[in-house]
Amino acid sequence: MSLNDTFTSETELHGVSDPIIEIRDAEVVFEMDRGVSRVLDNVNLTVERGEILGIVGESGSGKSMLASAILDAVVDPGILSGSITYYPENGDPIDVLSLSDEELRKLRWESISMVFQGAMTSFNPTMSIRGHFEETLDAHDFDIEEGMERGHQILSDLYLESERVMDSYPHELSGGMRQRALIALSVLLEPDVLVMDEPTAALDLLMQRSILALLESLKEKYDLTMVFITHDLPLVAELSDRLAVMYAFELIEQGPTNEILQNAGHPYTRSLLNATPNLDAPLSEMRPIEGSAPDPVNVPKGCSYHPRCSVANNRCVEADPEYQQITEEHVAACFHCDDAVEAIPLTHDQAVVQEDEP
Amino acid sequence: MNWHLKRAGQALFTLWAVVTLSFVMVRMLPWSAEDIVVAELIQQNPNLAQNRDMLRRQVQDMLMIDPDASITEAYVQYMMSVMQGDLGTTYGVRSGEEVSAIIAGALPWTIWVMSLATFGMFALALALGAIMAYREQSAFDYSNSAVAIVAASIPYYVAAVVFIKYIGFSDFLFLEMIPARNRLPDGVAVGLTFEFVSGAFRHALLPALSFIVTGYGLTALAMRGNSIQTLGEDYVRVARLRGLPDRRIALRYVGRNAVLPLYTWLIISIGTMFGGAVILEQLFNYHGVGYWMLEAIEANDMPLMMGTFIVLTAAMVVAIWFGDLTYGKLDPRIKSGDEGEAY
Ligand code: SF4
Repeated sequence: MSLNDTFTSETELHGVSDPIIEIRDAEVVFEMDRGVSRVLDNVNLTVERGEILGIVGESGSGKSMLASAILDAVVDPGILSGSITYYPENGDPIDVLSLSDEELRKLRWESISMVFQGAMTSFNPTMSIRGHFEETLDAHDFDIEEGMERGHQILSDLYLESERVMDSYPHELSGGMRQRALIALSVLLEPDVLVMDEPTAALDLLMQRSILALLESLKEKYDLTMVFITHDLPLVAELSDRLAVMYAFELIEQGPTNEILQNAGHPYTRSLLNATPNLDAPLSEMRPIEGSAPDPVNVPKGCSYHPRCSVANNRCVEADPEYQQITEEHVAACFHCDDAVEAIPLTHDQAVVQEDEP
Repeated sequence: MNWHLKRAGQALFTLWAVVTLSFVMVRMLPWSAEDIVVAELIQQNPNLAQNRDMLRRQVQDMLMIDPDASITEAYVQYMMSVMQGDLGTTYGVRSGEEVSAIIAGALPWTIWVMSLATFGMFALALALGAIMAYREQSAFDYSNSAVAIVAASIPYYVAAVVFIKYIGFSDFLFLEMIPARNRLPDGVAVGLTFEFVSGAFRHALLPALSFIVTGYGLTALAMRGNSIQTLGEDYVRVARLRGLPDRRIALRYVGRNAVLPLYTWLIISIGTMFGGAVILEQLFNYHGVGYWMLEAIEANDMPLMMGTFIVLTAAMVVAIWFGDLTYGKLDPRIKSGDEGEAY
């Protein structure tokens, strides 16, 4: 049973008119001794050219797997199925999963680039930053001199002393500098899409903010489409145009950031908003979500959120909800969106909305 | 720079301690080294018994210790002559020859065998360990792990005896090319000739192999473990995504970072090998420093004993010092001194 049938017209459903990446029925399974572990379940997602798309989920919700899937970089022995299509600015759409190794090697970093979780350890400790830049250019047959000039420029754009950073070894840079150097390295080959998985996780709050600001200007200057994956909803809400929420290896809600913040349809999203620490929300109103994220081998039947959901009824146990249209561009996978809005009032929607509007 | 000075100071201190120790040892022996020398000299030349002055000079010449001087004076004299490269004169083995001359003729050979053993062992261990890691849990991995463990549990001298018996004296095919005794084939002179180079290599082969075969196992397993760990590092994954060629990732990313912890091991193993040279050179009748040390002990030849002891230890100290100096080049995180400061 595929959700695909319901997507008769993509544009109508998600309000995406010029897609750059289209993910259809993406599924990742690991065969394990205790059963099949499905760590990405029927994910459908379209990334619009030039947007910043935020993907939010708890740890263990499969969001890193989604990031790997976009680059067809799921680690062995995981098996990725479904389809992932990349639409270059000019030229024919590319079916990512059917590329040869060499074509895939070219696609990665040249067209779709990535900043992984664990940026602190993404550099070879025995090589200078310059070495990383040069070998990347070299591996992709780029002109080294020209490329290094661009590298310096990007580093300066990120407020780094480019000469000094280039000459440094990774351990000589602070966390924030290393993170920015990694971002610079990821856009060195002028990709169209930058996928970032928790790019600010290991940084302090101040540094997170400044990196967000830098990312926004980088996006403008280099004409990037960004997919920003994080557990930190308020953080990504500030940056993103649209949000997609992940729960139990599925995308359970998608829509424009404002819509989701003010009018989330899925009980999980609403609880997540309420559970999120926010400076403007009184601490007494913060409510953690009871229960824990499901085990990938043993996802609950019906709606996978039902054991934790406060508005669940029998129907939720029996059937898996498909996307319900909330507005033109906003969908949520829940039978009882309307009930949820009433049952789970948002405690701080005002505050987040204010932050979101510059 | 500071650090270099400090490290050089440490090396010098160790050398001084070793030389002093050898002096103390001679003094502390239950029998008097001087008595032995005196007895031996008188035996060779009874006239000396009457000529006390002459006797004293000869004793001093051999032991670098004036028997009539106070201990401090003797120590100073001894240190002075050692610093000038004078290690005394033998009286047991090759009586009357300068110890420094014997050692000078032997040391290059020991170093040659040891280098061959060390580099051979590490080349084999690193390559094997890395391949095992890349093919983790394959038949290649399992069988080599097993062989490595068995090989590592064999003492090198047992391997040496087996090699001598089954290769050294075998006429089977090319095996007759590999001799079990001496440093060079008979009648080959030192020089840059094919006979000399190939001869030196063939004669060093079995002693070196004894070390290699019994020593590579643990290093290979360590390399395997390090490589597996490194393969799981984020930077290796990112390097793959960046589309770097596999060869570069294997050498510059996995290899380089997996080898680092082994470098210290390499340096330490040089030390153990020099120690092993004493027995091994005896087994192969290979006239290196270790060979002369054992000969000296058997013949109760005090100056030669001290000389070989000092030189072997000094060689180790220098090797370890060199290793320390170069480690910073391999691993930028261990930059020497203040220039390594993070900003
Ligand atoms: S479908 Fe039912 S269980 Fe699932 S989120 Fe909606 S109300 Fe809760």
